Amino acid sequence: MARTPFPVEVLTPEGKVFDDEVEMLSTRTGEGSLGVLANHAPLLAILEPTELRLHREGGEVETFAQAEGYLQVVENSALVLVEEAHRPDELDRSDLESRLEEARNSLEGAEEGSEERRGYERDVKRYEAFLEVEGSD
Amino acid sequence: MASSSSLSERIDSVKNVKQITRAMEMVAAARLRRAEQRIEALRPYADALRRMTRRAVEGAQSLPDIPLLEEHDSIDRVGLLLVTGDRGLAGAFNSQIIRAGERRARELRREGQEPAWYVIGAKGAASLGFRGYDLDGVYSGFTDRPAYANAREVGQDIVSAYTDENIDRAEMFYNGYISPMSQVVRHETLLPLQQAEFLGTDGEEGDESEEGGEGTGGQGSEEGPDHSRALWIYEPEPGEILRQLAPDYVEISIYRAMLESTASEHGARMTAMRSASENADEMIDDLTMQANRERQAQITQEIMEVVSGAEATTG
Repeated sequence: MARTPFPVEVLTPEGKVFDDEVEMLSTRTGEGSLGVLANHAPLLAILEPTELRLHREGGEVETFAQAEGYLQVVENSALVLVEEAHRPDELDRSDLESRLEEARNSLEGAEEGSEERRGYERDVKRYEAFLEVEGSD
Repeated sequence: MASSSSLSERIDSVKNVKQITRAMEMVAAARLRRAEQRIEALRPYADALRRMTRRAVEGAQSLPDIPLLEEHDSIDRVGLLLVTGDRGLAGAFNSQIIRAGERRARELRREGQEPAWYVIGAKGAASLGFRGYDLDGVYSGFTDRPAYANAREVGQDIVSAYTDENIDRAEMFYNGYISPMSQVVRHETLLPLQQAEFLGTDGEEGDESEEGGEGTGGQGSEEGPDHSRALWIYEPEPGEILRQLAPDYVEISIYRAMLESTASEHGARMTAMRSASENADEMIDDLTMQANRERQAQITQEIMEVVSGAEATTG
């Protein structure tokens, strides 16, 4: 059963990575997984690092490893703003592993309750999510 | 004659130098174009982030406490972020940033404040290190082509230092890009964030961006703001969204400064290499002229010898 398509744009600071119609967009907020279909109510949400899935008409799914960002849905179109969005095949497992390792080490050295610590926690989350995306393909 | 062969050697070597400077100019020009495109690519993201901030401000009943917007009571340490390059051979590009930073540091010290140095680019790090300064942050190896992740790393350090009260202000110096021929040293305050800039309280384009921009221009505007506010879903609540948006503004400012600095560096190198090539041209002309003169003198000399020889035999 075909769903109604709606336009989705995915922007990063380094440029636009996606601009097309999809039937469903799925991502993740602090509350958990989120799926957006056509005619969704106006929404502004913070996104967590995860696999961004864009379901095109005809069953084709495009995926990205998505960093932290924001999602805005208004007037039946969705805008995803993320700091980074990578195609799964662009990810380099060993590079991600060493970054994760580095972030974990820095986290251990950072003071409890400091902003510095929260920064490293975000890094750890991001690289864990990216590794998961890399591993799932 | 010995001197004419040494002259032609010199001409050859200047020609070689010119080939190198010409090649460097071409490389810089290509990289400059790419850097300009990256500045363009940032704009839609930055604009959209601004619109989302306005939306969150609309949704918030009252403004939350955002540490990055608050001034610290006493200013003891001021973070100075200098954006330089990893390489030289670009005219005054690096040195003018370092000079501006040092001038600012002297001013701060006169007011009893301590500078905390954050330096992007190997050139800046080397010259400040050479002067014996302690550097709170050094970031290098990417100034030819900075990625957003690089700006995020710098931004995270500075935001953390501000929130954890290791610094009480943050300022940034970089080469602003005007055109390939001209760059200007810019001095901007990073933290505390300016309320007007972050919340858009200056309100020029506030109403227009209400509907989220690239949508179906204008149709939704018959809904009053109150009506549309009731319909919006925020996750988490708008105040929390604003708190998370604040550091993004710092990162974007740093990223834009890095991109402009990169464009300026390639522009400066292009210009420096072009004038080096022009100097080489001049030198080649001079040397060629000199070589011609010597050759002419030699020919004249030989003719004189032939003529006087002929005169001697007929005489």
